[in-house]
Amino acid sequence: MMMRIIRQLLDIPLADPDDQRRARLLNILLLGIAALTLLAVLATAAYDITGGVGEPGGTPIYLSSLAMLVGAVTIFAINRYGSGWLASSLFLLLLIALLSLSDKPQEVANGRTLLVFAIPIITASVLLRPYASFIMAGLSSLLIAAIGLRVQIRPNVFAMLAFFATALVSWLAAHSLERALEDLRALNRELDQRVVERTRELAEALSKNQAILEGIADGVIVFDRDSKATVANPAIANLLERPPDEITGRDIETLMGQDVDVADQEVISSLLKDKEKSYPSVKLEWGAKTLSVSVAPVRDNSGRTTGTVAVFRDFTWEAKIDRMKSAFASMVSHELRTPLNAILGYADMLQETVYGLLPDKQRGVIERIIANIGHLLSLTNNLLDQAQIEAGTLTLNVISFAPADLIDSVHGVMSVLAQTKGLKLTSQIADDVPTTLFGDRQRLHQILVNLVSNAIKFTEQGTVRVRGYRPDATHWALEVSDTGYGIPAEAQAHIFEPFRQADDSLTREYTGAGLGLSIVKQLTEMMGGEITLASEVGRGSTFTVVLPLVPTQEASP
Amino acid sequence: MSSQFALIIEDDYDASFIFAEALQAAGFETEIIRSGDTALARLTVATPDVVVLDLHLPRAAGTDILRQIRADVRLAGTRVIVATADPRMAEILEDEADLILIKPISFSQLRDLSARLRSVSPPDK
Repeated sequence: MMMRIIRQLLDIPLADPDDQRRARLLNILLLGIAALTLLAVLATAAYDITGGVGEPGGTPIYLSSLAMLVGAVTIFAINRYGSGWLASSLFLLLLIALLSLSDKPQEVANGRTLLVFAIPIITASVLLRPYASFIMAGLSSLLIAAIGLRVQIRPNVFAMLAFFATALVSWLAAHSLERALEDLRALNRELDQRVVERTRELAEALSKNQAILEGIADGVIVFDRDSKATVANPAIANLLERPPDEITGRDIETLMGQDVDVADQEVISSLLKDKEKSYPSVKLEWGAKTLSVSVAPVRDNSGRTTGTVAVFRDFTWEAKIDRMKSAFASMVSHELRTPLNAILGYADMLQETVYGLLPDKQRGVIERIIANIGHLLSLTNNLLDQAQIEAGTLTLNVISFAPADLIDSVHGVMSVLAQTKGLKLTSQIADDVPTTLFGDRQRLHQILVNLVSNAIKFTEQGTVRVRGYRPDATHWALEVSDTGYGIPAEAQAHIFEPFRQADDSLTREYTGAGLGLSIVKQLTEMMGGEITLASEVGRGSTFTVVLPLVPTQEASP
Repeated sequence: MSSQFALIIEDDYDASFIFAEALQAAGFETEIIRSGDTALARLTVATPDVVVLDLHLPRAAGTDILRQIRADVRLAGTRVIVATADPRMAEILEDEADLILIKPISFSQLRDLSARLRSVSPPDK
């Protein structure tokens, strides 16, 4: 409190920092003088009261003290409300006047009091400008010369020289001080400038990141190490239909709440828990929306993981299109099958000579019609299967069946095709495969027919071999190998994708929708099995379907 | 050997025609019925030796028709060939139907199979 009042008294707000410093210095000196004056008054009073002996004359001391106090206050007022320069000059003049009156004229002109003139000389250098010390030295010299003349004493030239020497030293000191201060201020200004620039750069970078985050269509949530959301952009707020501040501060489980089913919740939670790895996107139903989520770790500059970022993309529309596509394909296939079956039936009737014998050429045409309708039917069946698999409506019909019968049946269906191409078709089943198994016989038949017809299609000479065996105690396998073209390594990765064939030139030669192997793979996977391909260009291919072994005696006690 | 009678219950015109031709080729007299309720009514009076039954029919389910045939002692000698595109039905109706054929059913396939049924059919009339 006290300090604050003193500081307020001392400080004078001025534009120029040097002026401010000088004004403040003057105020400090004035305060010191006021305090000294008070002390002097008190001391004199005490002396008078105790009835001290010696020279009388308390009254002049009181008067001069009062004068000094008035002078100090006046200068203070001028300093504060008028000109600092004028106040300082007045102060110095007052000081020099007081000093010249403070002793006997002889002592002032050429004696013990000469020394005190150093005070205004030094003070001037700091109160006014550094060069003011020379003016003070000059003034002091004139003063002692004048006093000396009045009392007929030769002026003390050495004292005057000493004044100027003092002035020189003060000037040097004050000058260096001002220079140092100026340098310091320049340095400060530069620092300030730099801080401003850096702050602006940082703000720009932040706003750029912010702009990206706010501008992208994907929803972004950043989770910290404790799995609490720390950042949520406007897109995620849109997707989840809640404001960003209702997202931040919560964990993913709270966010998913009732909107995501339990199985999907577990998948997402486990993705986010593994903070070290990035994951490809996972699709899930979130409320009425279909979202894809991809997760990646967030690392600081030192590579330490600080959390995870989850990016959500709206797949609602795509999912809807997908469902529509599946429904469309399913509908079209159904609708196509009915007339195709009719055409096949009529052609069959003609071939079976229901309406009389046909000339040879017409028989040939009927055969081609039947073959092409068969092809068309298998294409629509594949489309229907693919649509049902994609829509998730294809179900397996698991029954007890004999694997040996299955292989025989496939052999029976395919042998004519193999013969017409001059290929050898062999089939065998190992003894350790159980005589009956549980499985979807019809779909296994479809898988084998697909693999065998492919093998025949892409083999010009040699053998197509079908084999059933047990790779281990808990599995059984169906293997189809051929001595055909083989499949190039770069095509092997894509061969199980829908609408693919290994080589476009082959596609032209051997027409097909390219759905067969994709369906085979998907059916195999639905059965809990796995399909593998070993192939070398020019030496043939081997497709192996490995299935879990479900013996009938275990499954039906 | 007297001529045997086959009832073909199928709503698709072409399929019913082809089925009828196949059964005729196998030596049956045939009659085609294209809706479920008509079939149910016809079966209260007719005594077919063979019924070719589609499961997807208008105005009555094929499974109900099958059940009515099996419940009627008068129709104890009737052989039922179920024609369906749904392989799951094959297992469900395994015990009730005499023969289950998965569509598409070819002319020759139906002709040969029904001929076999005819030859083993009890000559009770």
